Amino acid sequence: MNDDISLWLIFIVLGLATTLPRASFIVLGNRFNLPPTLQRALRYAPAAALAAIVVPDVLLVGGSVEPINPKLAAAIAAILVAIRWRNPWLPFIVGMAVLLGLKALLPG
Amino acid sequence: MQASDFERQGFAAGVREGFVAFLPVSVGLIPWALVVGMAMTSAGFTPIEAMGMNIIVFAGTAQLGTLPLIVDHAPLWLILATGLALNLRFLIFSAGIAPGFRGIGTGWRWLCGHFLTDGSFAVCYDKLMQVDDPRWRLGFYLITGVWSWLLWQTFTLAGIFAAGVIPKSWSLEFMATIALIVLLVPMAKSRPMLVAALVGGGSAVLLRGMPLRLGVVTAIVIGIAAGFAAEHWQEKKAA
Repeated sequence: MNDDISLWLIFIVLGLATTLPRASFIVLGNRFNLPPTLQRALRYAPAAALAAIVVPDVLLVGGSVEPINPKLAAAIAAILVAIRWRNPWLPFIVGMAVLLGLKALLPG
Repeated sequence: MQASDFERQGFAAGVREGFVAFLPVSVGLIPWALVVGMAMTSAGFTPIEAMGMNIIVFAGTAQLGTLPLIVDHAPLWLILATGLALNLRFLIFSAGIAPGFRGIGTGWRWLCGHFLTDGSFAVCYDKLMQVDDPRWRLGFYLITGVWSWLLWQTFTLAGIFAAGVIPKSWSLEFMATIALIVLLVPMAKSRPMLVAALVGGGSAVLLRGMPLRLGVVTAIVIGIAAGFAAEHWQEKKAA
């Protein structure tokens, strides 16, 4: 029960953490601007954050580095497809096919 | 025939032109919304919880990126820090597009801010800078936001129910990882961005032993610093 309440609290906090950055300068108008150096540095935040989530997810199996595993192979396939083709569905189809195919082939 | 900027007047005309410009871009939201819906269900959310998150947060990247932390019962501050890091680009978009809202009231500005997405920013930026009439600009921008919102909620709901009928052995939660990869790949086209991603990702693996999942936030900061340093180094070499 406690858990359910904290889940909605998380949603509200994340909602604020989305709407406030989005509305920030649009609402404030031109009265205030971020220092240009900070603006330039912040451009790297999304790429760094996404990679910090994705890389451990595909490289670690049970907490240790496992360079040969189905998730990593599927991720590499998805990356190659996303680089080569613009079709938004293809990385999902190929990535999932590689993951499920390897899981079916490899025991355990 | 294209209207000249001088002729671009009135809210309804803005809405019409905005819709035509945004429609092809908005199709890209559909797989993304389906995946987020499926990912939230795979994370164990009920349909009400999943739609609650979808309506309150309305940010696919932040939703997908924080899901693993929520599932792991990570502390709230870490979920907040990760969400903020994933949303930092909006601060930059907001600062960039803000001059486009000249002559528009504060209430509308809040609503427009809530609707600011990558797609709306990309499609509206030039037009909001060029066109004079505030009502036309408001119409043009708002339709992209409202249309994104409707598509997003509809197809996330579809994803939520699709996930319920698909067996667990299909590893659907991996769709969320692929979705993050699909976002990351075009970002990493420039050399410094690639450095930020590689260093951020590598650091997250190396720092996984840090308590309270501090490794993720530390890795993001290191990644940002590495990208910024690479940019400077590249400029120096070019000069």
